[in-house]
Amino acid sequence: MRDFLRRLSRHRKAAVGGSLLVFFLLLAVVGPFFVMDPTDLVGRPHQPPSAAHWFGTTGQGQDVLAQTVVGARETLAVGFAVGALVTLVGALVGVTAGYLGRRVDDVLSLTTNVFLVIPGMPLAIVLGAYLPSGPLRMVAVLTVAGWAWNARVFRAESLALRGRDFVSAAVVTGESHSRIVSRELLPNMASLLGSSFIGNTLYAVGAQVGLEFLGLGDVSAVTWGTNLYWAGNDAALLTRSWWIFVPTGMCIALVGFALTLVSSAIDEMTNPALRVHKAAPLPATPAPRSHLERPVPGVLLRVEDLCIDYATEKGPSRVVDSVSFDVAPGEVFGLAGESGSGKSTIGSALLGLLPASARVTQGRILFNGMDVTALEGPALRAFRWRQVSMVFQSAMSALNPVLTLGEQFHDTLAAHGRVSRGTSYARARELLGMVGLSPDLVTAWPHQLSGGMRQRVGIALALALEPRLIIMDEPTTALDVVVQKELLQRMVELKQRLGFAMLFITHDLPLLLALSDRVGVLQGGKLVEVDTSTNLRTGARHPYTQLLLSSFPHLSAKDAAPAAQPVQTPELSVSRPSTRVAAIPGGHR
Amino acid sequence: MGRYILRRMGFYLIAAWASLTLNFIIPRLAPGDPAAAMFARFEGKVAPEAMGALKAAFGFTDAPLYAQYFTYLKHLVQGDLGMSYAYFPARVTEVIGTGLMWTVALAGVAVIISFVVGSFLGVLAAWNRGGWLDSGLAPALAFLGAFPYFWLAMLALYLFGFVLGWFPLRHAYGHDMEPGLSFAFAADVARHAVLPASSIVVATLGGWMLGMRNTMVATLGTDSIRLAHARGLPPRQVMLRYAARNALLPNVTSFGMAVGFVLSGSLLTEIVFSYPGTGYLLILAVRNQDYPLMQGLFLVITLAVLAANFAVDLICLWLDPRTRAHA
Repeated sequence: MRDFLRRLSRHRKAAVGGSLLVFFLLLAVVGPFFVMDPTDLVGRPHQPPSAAHWFGTTGQGQDVLAQTVVGARETLAVGFAVGALVTLVGALVGVTAGYLGRRVDDVLSLTTNVFLVIPGMPLAIVLGAYLPSGPLRMVAVLTVAGWAWNARVFRAESLALRGRDFVSAAVVTGESHSRIVSRELLPNMASLLGSSFIGNTLYAVGAQVGLEFLGLGDVSAVTWGTNLYWAGNDAALLTRSWWIFVPTGMCIALVGFALTLVSSAIDEMTNPALRVHKAAPLPATPAPRSHLERPVPGVLLRVEDLCIDYATEKGPSRVVDSVSFDVAPGEVFGLAGESGSGKSTIGSALLGLLPASARVTQGRILFNGMDVTALEGPALRAFRWRQVSMVFQSAMSALNPVLTLGEQFHDTLAAHGRVSRGTSYARARELLGMVGLSPDLVTAWPHQLSGGMRQRVGIALALALEPRLIIMDEPTTALDVVVQKELLQRMVELKQRLGFAMLFITHDLPLLLALSDRVGVLQGGKLVEVDTSTNLRTGARHPYTQLLLSSFPHLSAKDAAPAAQPVQTPELSVSRPSTRVAAIPGGHR
Repeated sequence: MGRYILRRMGFYLIAAWASLTLNFIIPRLAPGDPAAAMFARFEGKVAPEAMGALKAAFGFTDAPLYAQYFTYLKHLVQGDLGMSYAYFPARVTEVIGTGLMWTVALAGVAVIISFVVGSFLGVLAAWNRGGWLDSGLAPALAFLGAFPYFWLAMLALYLFGFVLGWFPLRHAYGHDMEPGLSFAFAADVARHAVLPASSIVVATLGGWMLGMRNTMVATLGTDSIRLAHARGLPPRQVMLRYAARNALLPNVTSFGMAVGFVLSGSLLTEIVFSYPGTGYLLILAVRNQDYPLMQGLFLVITLAVLAANFAVDLICLWLDPRTRAHA
């Protein structure tokens, strides 16, 4: 928590927002001692700013500066009080619903959702019209109209925490509910409580000012809302007295802006994905020696002394270090290594798909004599998929969920030449048949397919333009063993029929040895050994290769070997949407 | 799919019932006797013997609470919201009718423009992350969004109405216009709507932009976008058909939730421009202590928001094949 506060104070948004807030708090607390009485009639009405009255006078002849400063006090006090109360009520209802679950949750969630759809301002107006006037009325009305959103957020959060191991453990050991809530749940919600409080204060200030502007506050009190109410009533616009309403509006906006900044800073600290990384700059990509070379016969892909750096906050970090290898046309080349060894980064670099924070800092990737690292724009797009395609590990999530399969095939084909939808769909049916799926799936959506089926779609998509090289990036890792085996057999058959080369990337070395002609072993970004599968199987020289070989059960090496008989494809149907997710070996989700 | 729609309809029916009941309970729980205060205003206007009938018409009788409740529900089902005090003897439904039309037109148009433009700006900001849209326009709009809607309305009215004189100062159309289906009338209505609508748009644009930008940033990091790039798809197609189309879904859901909030803000905007919508009527009702009109308005506004939410649910269903299948 202290560490969190320290990081918060270093955050730029938090610093700006925080200082603004502190300024207004000081203004509210000590400001009123330094200005004149805001209700005194000190001058002629509607006077523009002058030396005597820096912000001019109101329609009744009061000092606008005094009104603005004094108005901060009650506005902020009510704002923070409502903010705290709304957070408290919301957290109480939400945590109770999320923690107790079942009937209690049903009732509380329904109540919450109902209050969420009832518009707050009209409800507050009606409530306010019936209650006796005063600051307490404002607090009550705003709390009733505003608690629901928080309850919803806190319910979701406590549901998530409820399922976590440490809470389940506390439940099993028979700790009391109140103890679990106060000791296990609430401390883990500290940042949520903080950001909710700020969000609610923002709501409270805005709604309060709105209600007071309508005259539903105590119109004899001096607050920012009543200032604007009187500005409207005393014809500030008609008399062109902009100084009456501009300062108050500015103050409200600055407070609101400050709260937004602090809340978005908290969001960014707890959810780093939203942050723009300020990483140390990377050295520029070396100027390519030449874009085109005469293709070397017998070499389809040549990776030459390739280095790739990632920009991190601590400076560049090398993830691929002077890697060189060749892939021949029609060859199956395997890249083995643990996660973090740089194998997938190499795969991405081959298609120019490195993330913005990564860069090729040395070396070349020559595809048929053309330097891929130097390609850009339309040339790069024309190269992608037409020459080299890729099957992702995560075909489950790599397909666009809102487009049918046929549309995704059509987009792919249309990006590389003019085709009609009819032609694309016919080709898509053909491709789906090639990977053992029913051609009728062209009209299916990705969510209707099982994991194994989606991975087949990924392969069909990779074959669409008959590329000369297909990168398989851990294509079977997320699938169960049986599906894995069928898929690989299908891949080998297709390769024999169509003659493409394959770059197969996986951590499963025995699998690679069964599948590939040659295998390269990556460790910490360096290629430590490259040899034919036959040689590696009988006598791996590098200790790391030996370690990788011994760390897998021998099951997969034999089983994954391509079988001669054709694969039996399971009965596939789209009529019943499948919610089955392929099991993950050894894992339980 | 049918089951999903039925479930949502069930929820909105419960929500509608809850707001009807709130509407019934609030005046009766209030300290003091608002009914007595209200009827005190009628003294002298109405014959004493008619008072009993009048009270009954407003639902305040000496009958037990549950009986009053059923009478209240019966009147509602018949579309009877009682009589307005301020516009006596007009019925509340007549007073609300025209106001609702103006509010739906003004707030509806403004909200849709704001959502569409804001979302599109968010898409562009996320696509060119760190560019001028992202680091310049987004914070500027966030700052504008911190102003209360009605204050921006006051400023717009001051600058473009009073000082520059470009736009009319108040009402929905000029008093010399004959309402009808003429081009001149439509143009006059549009001219009157420019300032109130644009102040709502300016106040809300930043929120939509930021929301869309954040979901878009998350979507751009997924493998679905990597695969789209790998296939060599044109950038504009990746941005709109692959990223924005998916990033839109959560934002449409939050659009539904924000409808009530935006409407609340636009009610205040109406008051600044004396725009004859439900917000303006509502505040007049509060100032005149016209409780029947006030409660009728609360009910109608709430039901309108529920309807808008249901419409958004249907749009979500149409946009997302996954809910379509599982629902």
